[in-house]
Amino acid sequence: MRNRNTIEFKVWGRNALFTDPLTRIGGEKFSYHLPTYEALKGIAKSIYWKPTFIWVIDAVRIIKPIRTLTKGTKPLNYDGIYPSRRNPEKKKETPANTLSIYTFLSDVEYQVRAHFEWNLHHPDLANDRNEGKHFSVAQRMLERGGRQDIFLGTRDCQGYVMPCEFGSEIGSYDTIERVDYGLTFHGFAYPDETGEAILRARFWRPVMEHGVIHFPRPEQCDILKEVRPMVAKQFGQSCVLSVDLEASDLGA
Amino acid sequence: MSWIQKLYDTYEACLGHEPDGAERLLPVSHTYQQAHIEITLTGDGRFESARTIGKIETAIPATENSAGRTTNCAPHALCDKVQYCAKDYAAWGGNKKPFFAEYEDQLSSWCSSEHRHPKAAAILTYVRSGSVIADLIHEKVLHATDGKLLTKWHENGEAPEILKVLTAKSGERDQGDAFIRWRVRDLSNPCSAVWEDTTLQNAWACYDASTKQTKGLCMVTGQPATDLAVNHPKRLRHAGDGAKLISANDSSGFTFRGRFIDDTGAQACGIGYESTQKAHSALRWLIKRQSYRNGDQVIVSWATNGVNIPDPFLSSFDLGTGDEATDLTAPTHLDHSAGQAFAQRLSLALRGYKAQLSDNTDIVVMGLDSATPGRMAITYYRELPGSEFLERIEHWHIQFSWKQNFGKDRHFDGAPALHDIAEAAFGMRIDEKLKKSTIERLVPCIIDGQPFPRDLLTTIVRRACQRINMPHWAWEKTLGIACALYSGTFHQEKYTMTLETERTTRDYLYGRLLALADHIEGRALHVGGESRDTTAAKLMQRFAQRPASTWRTIELALVPAKSRLRAKRGGFMHEMEKLHDQIVCAFQGNDFIADSPLSGEFLLGYHCQREAFKPLQKTIESSSDATEISPN
Repeated sequence: MRNRNTIEFKVWGRNALFTDPLTRIGGEKFSYHLPTYEALKGIAKSIYWKPTFIWVIDAVRIIKPIRTLTKGTKPLNYDGIYPSRRNPEKKKETPANTLSIYTFLSDVEYQVRAHFEWNLHHPDLANDRNEGKHFSVAQRMLERGGRQDIFLGTRDCQGYVMPCEFGSEIGSYDTIERVDYGLTFHGFAYPDETGEAILRARFWRPVMEHGVIHFPRPEQCDILKEVRPMVAKQFGQSCVLSVDLEASDLGA
Repeated sequence: MSWIQKLYDTYEACLGHEPDGAERLLPVSHTYQQAHIEITLTGDGRFESARTIGKIETAIPATENSAGRTTNCAPHALCDKVQYCAKDYAAWGGNKKPFFAEYEDQLSSWCSSEHRHPKAAAILTYVRSGSVIADLIHEKVLHATDGKLLTKWHENGEAPEILKVLTAKSGERDQGDAFIRWRVRDLSNPCSAVWEDTTLQNAWACYDASTKQTKGLCMVTGQPATDLAVNHPKRLRHAGDGAKLISANDSSGFTFRGRFIDDTGAQACGIGYESTQKAHSALRWLIKRQSYRNGDQVIVSWATNGVNIPDPFLSSFDLGTGDEATDLTAPTHLDHSAGQAFAQRLSLALRGYKAQLSDNTDIVVMGLDSATPGRMAITYYRELPGSEFLERIEHWHIQFSWKQNFGKDRHFDGAPALHDIAEAAFGMRIDEKLKKSTIERLVPCIIDGQPFPRDLLTTIVRRACQRINMPHWAWEKTLGIACALYSGTFHQEKYTMTLETERTTRDYLYGRLLALADHIEGRALHVGGESRDTTAAKLMQRFAQRPASTWRTIELALVPAKSRLRAKRGGFMHEMEKLHDQIVCAFQGNDFIADSPLSGEFLLGYHCQREAFKPLQKTIESSSDATEISPN
C-alpha cells in the first residue's frame, strides 16, 4: 500500500555497517545482515529533511545477496598519544590507536519505500505544513542524489541514491518465502518526535518475505529500552535570526 | 536470528542432553577452576578426610565478580583457595592477605537466604571452626615446619604433590593458592560432590540472581525488567583466553559514546545475566567440542539442537572418506579413477548426518578472531538449514576433488582442507596473519557456495610449477591441491581425474607432453642408475611461461635418454614414441607453436598423464581385493 507523499529510491554502496549494538560497545563492530529502520530513515533525511516532518520507512527490499567482509581497523584512541621522536617515553602512555576487526556487509543494494508525515510536536512550524512543496523538493533532491552525503549505517560506508520503482528488478531473495531474524534494533524514539522527555531505543523481530521487510511504524514497536532523559531541541522563530536583521547587520 | 540468541537456544536445547562422552554444559553462575585438594565433610559440618587430587578441572559456583577476578579479593561461593577458605591462614604464616572474612560473609548470607542448601551450611559450619589448615596439615596434604606453611621443600626425597602442582613464583610456591573443592557426605543425598549436585547448583544460581541490582531490557530475549549482566564471561577459546565478545570500557577510548553519555555501556546495550551466561557457556562448549581452529582464529559450526554435524573445513580424508573400510559396501563396478567411488564414500560418510539433520534443524557457522588480547570479534556468521548445509559440504568436496598425495598414509581422492590450501598458496612457512585471512576468504566458498578466489588459484598454480623450489612431497601436495582447485573452479569443463585422450585443448596437451618427457628421461636415468632431476622437472616453471620454445629445449635434452632406452628398453621406447606422436598430432591449428603462457589446465594434463603411466598392477590388485571382500 502506498501512502501519500511516498518516495521510492534505490540505495547502494560497496560496504555497509549496521552495527549490532552488542558488538558496538566493545568496538569490534559486527554488522546486522539487514539495514535498520533508523539507518534508512537517516538516508531519507540525507535526501531531504525539515523539522516540519518525520520520515517513516515503509519497507525495504534486499536486492543483492547478503555477504560479509572483515577489515582490520585502527580506531583512534580519544586520548591517545602519538609516538614522539623527541620523547620516546611517550610511547608507553596510551597509544594513538587500538586494533579492531570490523565486519561489514559487502556490495549492498536496497530498494526503499518511505513517506513523510507532519511532526505534530512542532506546532511552531504549522505554517510550513505544505505537502506539495515538501514532496516536490524531496523528489527533486532524490533525482540529484540527495542534499547531504548518503551513508549506509556508518559514516565510513558511502552510499548513493537514485529514484526507482519499488519491486522492479530481480532480487536475490525473491524466491525465498520467509526468513526470520531475532531481536533487532529498530530505531531511536527521540523527544523531538515523541513529545516525551526521554530517549528510547526500539526493538523488533524482522521477517524477510520474498526479499522484502515491512517495517512496523515506530509507535507499533512495543519492545523499548529507556536510554536516558533528554529534552527536545526547540526550533522556531525565537531562535532564528531574521534575514532583514542580519542583512542590516552586515551593512547591506 | 542474532548470534547470541542462537547460542542461548543451543544452551537450552543441549543442557542435560549432551552427547555421550561430551563435557557437560556449565550451569549459570558457575566457572571452571583447577582444584588441587578435596576435603570431605560430614553432613553436620565435621571434618572427615582430605586428599590431594593433582589438578582437576572442576565446575564451581562463582559470582560475576569472582569469575573474572585476578589478584583482587572476590571470593567464589563455595570452593576456593586456602587463602579464602582457611580462617587460620594468617596464623600459619600465609604470605598473602587473608580473604577469609569476605568469603565467610558471602557464604553466610547465602546460607541465611531462602535459597540456602544443606551442603553449603555444612561447609560454613566447618570453615567457621577455623581449623582448615591444621586439618590439612594433619592429613599431610599441606606441609609446614615450625608453625609456618612451607614454600619450598628442603628435606631430602621427593617433594609432596601439592608443592609440585602449584605454580611457582620466583622459586616459591604459596600453599595458600591450593584450591579446595568439597565433598559433603549426607545419608539423605547420594551425591556427595558439590560440583555434581544439581540441587546445589540451582540453589546457588537462584541466590546469585537475587543479588543482582540492575534491571532493564534484555536485548537477547526482549524481556523487560530482567537482571542485567555487568560483566560478560571470558575464557572462551581456552583457559587463558582473556578476550571478551561483549565488553565496554569507554572511560577513555570513546568507542561508542555520542548519544549515550555513560562509560559503562548500559545505555547503549543491556543483556540479561542469565542470557549471557548461557550463551557464553554454550559457545565455550562448542568451541571445545567442534571448532576449526587456527591460532586465535576459531570457526565453529553447530546445529542448534545439538546433533552432530560434519566439520565443513576438513579435507575429504578427515571427513571419513579416506577410510577404506567404508569401501566395503560400495559396489565395485564403479570406475575408481573417475571419482565415482569417492562420491559414493562421501555420501556414505554424510548419510549418518543426513538422517539426524531434518530440514528444520538450523546450522550456524560462526567465525571468531581477535586483533587485541582483550576483545574478540565475530568475523563470520551464517545460519542455514541442515539440508542445505550438507549439500554445500557435499558440493564442495565433489566439485573440488582430485587425487591427493599428502604423504605416505594420506593418499586420497577429494578436496583439501582450508589450511592445506593456504599453505599451498603461500608455502609451509606462511605468515600467521596471511594464513588467517586466507582461511577467512575460503569459508564463504564452502558455506555460501561462492566462487573460489581467482587470485588464490593463480598463486597456487604458479607455485605448483615451481617444482625445484620445494621438497618432493611438498610439491606433490601442492600439485594435487592446484589440480583440485583448478578443476573445481572450471567445473563447467568437466575435467575428470583420469586421462582424457579426446581432450585437445592446447594447455592440456602440453601438460601431457611434459609428463611424457619426464617419464622418458626418468626411466632412462633409472636404467642408467643415475638419480638427478629430469630436464622436464627443472624447466617446468619456464615451460609454464613459454611452452613452445621450452619444449624445444626439453626435446633436444631427451635425445641421449632416448638412444639409451632404444638400446636397453626397446619396447618401452616404441610405446612412448607412439604416444608422443599421438599427442603432437592432437594439437589443433597453430596451438603447438603458440608460445603464450599455459593456464592451470596444463597441470591437469600433466597429472592425468603421469597417473596413466603408473604401473597398472596396483589398481588391479586393489580392485581384486575389493571384489573378494565385497560379498561380506
